[in-house]
Amino acid sequence: MLRFLLFSVRRAWEGFWRNVVMSVAATITMTLMLLMLAGLVIGLSGLDAGLRFVEQKVEVQAFVADGTPQSRIDALVAQVQALPEVSQVDYLDKAQALKQWQEQLRQQGKPDYSSATGTNPIPASILVKLKDPHVYGSVIQTLQAAQGVVTDVLETQHVVDALLSVTGFLRTAGVVVLVLVGLTVVFIVINTIRLAVVARAEEIEIMRLVGASDAFIRWPFIFEGMLVGILGAAITLGILGLAAQPIGQGVATLVGQVPIQFDQSLGRELVIVVGGAGLVLGAGGAFISIRTYLIR
Amino acid sequence: MTTSPPRLAGPLEAATAIRPEREAVDPPTAEGHETRDARRISIALDDVSKVYPNGRRALADVDLVVPDGDFVFIVGPSGAGKSTLIKLLIRDELPTSGTVFVAGRDVRRLSRRDVPRLRRSVGIVFQDYKLLPNKSVYDNVAFALEVTGTPGRQIRSAVDRVLSLVGLTAAAGQFPSQLSGGEQQRTAIARALVHEPRVVIADEPTGNLDPLISWEIIQLLLRINELGTTVLMATHNAEVVTALRRRVVALEDGRVVRDEVGGYHREY
Repeated sequence: MLRFLLFSVRRAWEGFWRNVVMSVAATITMTLMLLMLAGLVIGLSGLDAGLRFVEQKVEVQAFVADGTPQSRIDALVAQVQALPEVSQVDYLDKAQALKQWQEQLRQQGKPDYSSATGTNPIPASILVKLKDPHVYGSVIQTLQAAQGVVTDVLETQHVVDALLSVTGFLRTAGVVVLVLVGLTVVFIVINTIRLAVVARAEEIEIMRLVGASDAFIRWPFIFEGMLVGILGAAITLGILGLAAQPIGQGVATLVGQVPIQFDQSLGRELVIVVGGAGLVLGAGGAFISIRTYLIR
Repeated sequence: MTTSPPRLAGPLEAATAIRPEREAVDPPTAEGHETRDARRISIALDDVSKVYPNGRRALADVDLVVPDGDFVFIVGPSGAGKSTLIKLLIRDELPTSGTVFVAGRDVRRLSRRDVPRLRRSVGIVFQDYKLLPNKSVYDNVAFALEVTGTPGRQIRSAVDRVLSLVGLTAAAGQFPSQLSGGEQQRTAIARALVHEPRVVIADEPTGNLDPLISWEIIQLLLRINELGTTVLMATHNAEVVTALRRRVVALEDGRVVRDEVGGYHREY
């Protein structure tokens, strides 16, 4: 078994270098495809994180006009609390709201100039949590009806919907593009391996005649395809590793307020997805190639 | 100093090694074919026909029994079916009807997995040698063992043994382009022998060689036969066939028209 592996890997290595131009072309295409795959994974995981962040946030936020008497606010809070769709209502006064805002700025590493003005520009607000984040019922109308108390109602439904549609679109478009690029990669791998097979036609004939088993004839080529996949994956991960910092910042500015964390699990996920895709496409292309060429 | 020098693997060792293990079951003697003695059968074709998909009938009702240790010439004009016969014996083609037994195996019933095993028990030599130009003599022979998963230690001793048998020990490091035609053919014969086959099939082995070198190759095949391996040689070389007075099977239009000890042409 070990001998078989050594034999196959050695011949795969020889085969890779025998036709360097084609092997390099296949590796570069593979790398481009894997980069797109990684981009899709990163983008989707960022959007998913954003979605989760928005969904776990307060669903409805009503800004209270400055100087509203506490009694009217309490009445409104009680009124909203009574609605069947509502699970919890909180009141955030101006001081608390400012503190929370400063906290957010600190988390995002942005400079805090709020103390410079000396006044508190942040309005107080009523925060409503729903039993089901998608069922609003009459909550918004109730809040908006409170003339003079509520200046504006923010509901995250729009944001959630927008994120969902962007995520959905990106997922669909990404998968379509990936499938197309994946097919191209498989096609190029098929041709690369086909060339390798043709270059070895003489050897293959002799191997057959002296009684080499199919595995000995086939696996060197599959390993050669896998080599293209592994190299492509390694280059891709190398590029991602170098670019991780700029990408993180880019996504942060793109998504803005939403604190997205590119943690260890995303890195692991990327290694598995990129490496796995490279291996499967490389081996798959090689397998198809020798299947149509060798078997008879 | 009278210590004996290390013994080189010579023909005698090769003779014992060249007998294949007899694990396979031999076919019963086909009805209507009297074997001349009780020897085991290397090759048995019973009522074999081969029609190619394009409709060409390459072999028709061929019966042939070759006992172990025989030396058989297959003669006949081009297109008579010699090549097809050889392809059937190494299961490069399957018969359209009839049965083919080679080295105890029913070729038609072999599974994909067993085809390589059959081919290891049949060594084959071609007119054009089929050597790999970028490998040395040693590596060309060793290649046959490497690609069948033979452990490295066994490769060295087996290759040394067959190279000494064909007289190419000194040329082991040379490349095919540096060798004469005769030496290239001897390399090919060494490769055919390295799996210790029960049968060696030679397809026009002297076709590209001048008469003197041809005789060297014939002598080598005769020696291999003497060591116990069945040899089947397809040839056009009338001089060789006539001179040796061995068993001659003549094919014409896919049929066996003669099967007797004698010369290239029918003798009356």
